[in-house]
Amino acid sequence: MDETIAEFIKRTILKIPMNELTTILKAWDFLSENQLQTVNFRQRKESVVQHLIHLCEEKHASISDAAQLDIIYMQFHQHQKVWDVFQMSKGPGEDVDLFDMKQFKNSFKKILQRALKNVTVSFRETEENAVWIRIAWGTQYTKPNQYKPTYVVYYSQTPYAFTSSSMLRRNTPLLGQALTIASKHHQIVKMDLRSRYLDSLKAIVFKQYNQTFETHNSTTPLQERSLGLDINMDSRIIHENIVEKERVQRITQETFGDYPQPQLEFAQYKLETKFKSGLNGSILAEREEPLRCLIKFSSPHLLEALKSLAPAGIADAPLSPLLTCIPNKRMNYFKIRDK
Amino acid sequence: MDNGSSVLAHLERLETQVSRSHKQSEELQSVQAQEGALGTKIHKLRRLRDELRAAVRHRRASVKACIANVEPNQTVEINEQEALEEKLENVKAILQAYHFTGLSGKLTSRGVCVCISTAFEGNLLDSYFVDLVIQKPLRIHHHSVPVFIPLEEIAAKYLQTNIQHFLFSLCEYLNAYSGRKYQADRLQSDFAALLTGPLQRNPLCNLLSFTYKLDPGGQSFPFCARLLYKDLTATLPTDVTVTCQGVEVLSTSWEEQRASHETLFCTKPLHQVFASFTRKGEKLDMSLVS
Repeated sequence: MDETIAEFIKRTILKIPMNELTTILKAWDFLSENQLQTVNFRQRKESVVQHLIHLCEEKHASISDAAQLDIIYMQFHQHQKVWDVFQMSKGPGEDVDLFDMKQFKNSFKKILQRALKNVTVSFRETEENAVWIRIAWGTQYTKPNQYKPTYVVYYSQTPYAFTSSSMLRRNTPLLGQALTIASKHHQIVKMDLRSRYLDSLKAIVFKQYNQTFETHNSTTPLQERSLGLDINMDSRIIHENIVEKERVQRITQETFGDYPQPQLEFAQYKLETKFKSGLNGSILAEREEPLRCLIKFSSPHLLEALKSLAPAGIADAPLSPLLTCIPNKRMNYFKIRDK
Repeated sequence: MDNGSSVLAHLERLETQVSRSHKQSEELQSVQAQEGALGTKIHKLRRLRDELRAAVRHRRASVKACIANVEPNQTVEINEQEALEEKLENVKAILQAYHFTGLSGKLTSRGVCVCISTAFEGNLLDSYFVDLVIQKPLRIHHHSVPVFIPLEEIAAKYLQTNIQHFLFSLCEYLNAYSGRKYQADRLQSDFAALLTGPLQRNPLCNLLSFTYKLDPGGQSFPFCARLLYKDLTATLPTDVTVTCQGVEVLSTSWEEQRASHETLFCTKPLHQVFASFTRKGEKLDMSLVS
């Protein structure tokens, strides 16, 4: 086994937390049950890793085996990367999409290998009709860098692919091209949507964040859930502005629904608008050029935070549509210009 | 001499007679008194009995009158309520049963939530929901349609102009998808023994590729089948290619079989074709035995 492969596998396994190690090794399915049973997982991590490398050597692990392990690690630790969303489109009157996974893989690999002689491309299919693609980039003259790969999650027979934001920006056009041609689309466009939470991105893009539907079969009536406000706590307490509180609750429920919000960490607004002021004769109001300014909202869970603004009394209800349109418009990067 | 005693005796006799008769009259008096007392008691008891009888009669009459006044109204109310509840249950059941027609819906606060229940060969399969907001323009609020069904395309074509056509078209796509998926699932689960490799399929189940043998243990060459469903509203393939693996030129009998398989796959659902293969196989076995 090549020293570089051994080193790469070693570094990958070292990244894996001890409590996930057996699960990931089982998913990798490269080392046999017998081999795994010979390992004492209670030792210090370095010893466990050394033993595992030895077993990989026995089985002559290749770079593609190592790449599979890396993909599995990434699947367990998706939030370590920031994911972009790409949307592809076909020309009008295109044939029906008869997606053939084999053809797709071959085509994708060929396009990249023709452009850059040195590139490692690995695929791993998941049960949810998605294929994870790992690309380690090299050039005509240098071997692929296994430590800075790009990951792509492509949902076949849909126009959407999610890619990990790569440091190696120069490869993005080539990646887009390979994806488009292999999946028989014509164009690819990057959406203004980005997050660490792949599941949330998927829910927003495929509009699947709300999966509650009203039917005649439901036996439990839809109950209004109070957003943390216990209005009927004590009958001796009268809320002076109970009408207002209820209005706020109703509007919040209509806007955000009862379902858990998809998880985003930020929303960014690039303003290129003229300064508007109520005071006449202010210097800024006389400027002809638009002001440029960047507003960024950050939160561990942005949409839940926005949902709680009005009930907490921090903002008026209804909230600005610029904030509430995020899941609907599938954007969290906005450019706002004067109309 | 005798005269004196006899007079005394006579007097004695008279005295006792008198006392006796006194006693008798006393007794008679007491008996009479007792009789009298008993008599009055009897009268009293008779009177009491008559009073009680009268009271009972009175009570009965008044209760009857009460029932006569109250009963008719109460029973009417109960009957009305029961009738209403029964009607309500009936209507609820009918609304739930609409589910089985394949297309049903429920009004929501902002529009309607449509439920498309798919079926194939009489088997009820998955249901999909589309929640519509009734505004100008009409729009889809959220849905549970799988991502690879071209919902956006169908909506772009029909949603604003002809909502019936939109729903009908979506029903077509979803039912066809459900049917194709059902066939592929049945093939994988029920006829795995005849497959010599894994079934290759895509999310829409419109491209299926597999290799199979009619006699799993036998020496014959496996067949390769590739089924293309270019019509997404159909559950039968539009293009079928069956080839024989590893053989350049087929003998006439094999060529006939290969061609007949192609026709079968084009005309019958996948799992039914394989069911006929197993039946033929059984027939072959029987002929070998006899």
